[in-house]
Amino acid sequence: MGDFKFPYFFDYPPYFTLQPVQDTREKQMQLWKELILRYCQHHKCFIINLEQEFPLFQNLSIQRKLSFEAREMFLAALVAEGKAEWLDKAHKKCLVLWRSIQEWSEMILQLVRDNAMEDGVLTLDEIQSGDESRGTELAGIDRFVLVRALKLLEQRGKAAMFKGKAGDDEGVKFSAS
Amino acid sequence: MKRRPGISGLHSAAAARDQYRSVGENVARIRTDLLKEQLATFRTQLEEFARKHKHDIKKNPAFRAQFHEMCSKVGVDPLASNKGFWAELLGIGDFYYEIGVQIVEICLATRSHNGGLIDLNELCSMLSKKRRTSRETITSDDCLKAIDKLKVLGSGFEVFTVGKKKLVRSVPTELNKDHNQILELAEVRGFVLVEDVERALSWHPGRVIDALETLMKEGLVMIDDGHPDRKRRYWFPCVSLSSSNAEEL
Repeated sequence: MGDFKFPYFFDYPPYFTLQPVQDTREKQMQLWKELILRYCQHHKCFIINLEQEFPLFQNLSIQRKLSFEAREMFLAALVAEGKAEWLDKAHKKCLVLWRSIQEWSEMILQLVRDNAMEDGVLTLDEIQSGDESRGTELAGIDRFVLVRALKLLEQRGKAAMFKGKAGDDEGVKFSAS
Repeated sequence: MKRRPGISGLHSAAAARDQYRSVGENVARIRTDLLKEQLATFRTQLEEFARKHKHDIKKNPAFRAQFHEMCSKVGVDPLASNKGFWAELLGIGDFYYEIGVQIVEICLATRSHNGGLIDLNELCSMLSKKRRTSRETITSDDCLKAIDKLKVLGSGFEVFTVGKKKLVRSVPTELNKDHNQILELAEVRGFVLVEDVERALSWHPGRVIDALETLMKEGLVMIDDGHPDRKRRYWFPCVSLSSSNAEEL
């Protein structure tokens, strides 16, 4: 999966302070928003918890870190753009949608097609970490996001989720043909 | 075409196929020739247009940009057509024209980071990275010559010296003496603290803050409150080699 390449601004101290001048701040937000999405996609990170340390928000080599206010502002901007969602009322936990739920659901359909499972059954576990998804972007998908994507497919009549017997994992039957 | 039965029918079908094929090839050849002719005509007309509107192209950067865009849209490259086409038009060598265009591109691309001021050496190094594939080396003298020509075209480019550095300004904002003095101080570490300026220039803190805030509004300065010593630093992107990653462009 290769090393993550940090952009030039990550090593420039001022970018870790919320800029007061409007134009400069907008540029700053734009850069951070893109970085957050790219970083999360690279590391398959779905949730950012504002009350915990997140490696992206500090650069030890220049001794700088983003303030709570800045982190919240950048995440809120992503939410406003539809690229993220708050998972709680207090706005402390953020679901980062570097792919939209729609895109995830399309990928699941593709997985189904690629494995000739148009009328088949898979457990959610298998989609997350089974043989079929190995090597695809779906591998390691967050359970909550997966369920949302499957719900979308249910609405379209392409899938139906069901609960397994006691102790068994949830599954989904596809009618994607 | 009606198929006739029997062997003769087969012969006719084959002959008809051959005929169609050669007609098809002909059509393709005629179409290509026509296209070539149209393109040649268009190119000549474009050059004629350029000659007629030489004055506008020379004086008006927006018009010039549109003309260039029109050329590239139809796949016509005035730089490649007539040897010295642009040289005749603008009275400069193709080489300096090319560099000039690239300098403008670099300044525009870095403007949101440095506010429209860039260190000449940094500009030169970014230019060299951009021209990686060509064989010539670009010196800062070449940059200065190219920028000089840009000035002739009224593009608002200016080179000025602050302390030990030469800076290229690509925005209309001019720096006053106070600003220049602070800029010179910032060259040492890429940033200043208010107390540094007060001490070095014997200024009242109000005068320092005033100047710094104007520079901030112009996009030439960014604040940094993150240092462990809790003192605010004012950074000058134009004197820091932080945007020197040409791939970002």
